[in-house]
Amino acid sequence: MKTEDQFTPVGEQTKNVIMTGIAGASFGLTYAYGFEFSLAIGLAVGALFGAAIGFRISRKPLKMRYPMALLRRILMAATLLLLTSFGYSYLLDQQISQAQMRWAAVLPLLGWTLLIISIGIAIASLDELQRRIQTEAIAIGFAGTAILVGGYALFQFTGLAEVNVGIVILVMSFTWLVGKLWTLWRYR
Amino acid sequence: MKSRLKVLRAERDWSQAQLADALDVSRQTVNAIETGKYDPSLPLAFKLAKLFDCSIEDIFTPDQPEEKK
Repeated sequence: MKTEDQFTPVGEQTKNVIMTGIAGASFGLTYAYGFEFSLAIGLAVGALFGAAIGFRISRKPLKMRYPMALLRRILMAATLLLLTSFGYSYLLDQQISQAQMRWAAVLPLLGWTLLIISIGIAIASLDELQRRIQTEAIAIGFAGTAILVGGYALFQFTGLAEVNVGIVILVMSFTWLVGKLWTLWRYR
Repeated sequence: MKSRLKVLRAERDWSQAQLADALDVSRQTVNAIETGKYDPSLPLAFKLAKLFDCSIEDIFTPDQPEEKK
């Protein structure tokens, strides 16, 4: 029984660098637009940063058993989500009608759908323990978000700011991460 | 559940990574089974038994004997 040393072929390395570069560029673009600084700088810095991460990943592959192509697919969907979100923000800033705004609001949903599908495919490729870890992490993330956001909502009558979707996603990501670290520690 | 996986693996001089590759699972899963932190599913237990050419009972034993009624 033999296992080969982890080695990333040149073709895979190039794909990684290109994909992470594109993802970085779209992140930079959205960030630059949101914080109102030069879009060109945002694009360039994001692309360079993303490509550097892709290069680093290729030089020293991540310790995971599912193929890099799955990670690239998630990155591709995340990039599309960023670009559609950017498109949505850009269109809202233009003088468009109410009906056109409704159509613009559908744009990010396409990105979200693709992201969810790609994450679903990645989870399906995990083994039974990794799937259990993910399930427990998602359960902790879901319950944690419900408690934190629900608890916060109870205090809104005291004058606290209203909860927005961005905060909910942030809380969900944070509690999922806590859940993942906790379950990884349990099965370490 | 107690497992003899570590012993069986050592007898064959296999690393956790090699065993994980043969079972098509992650090294983390092999480690969790060996340390008793995770009980494998029945299909994975059968896979292990086939790989080590023994029965499931030769690899895994319950923590405590069943109570007699």
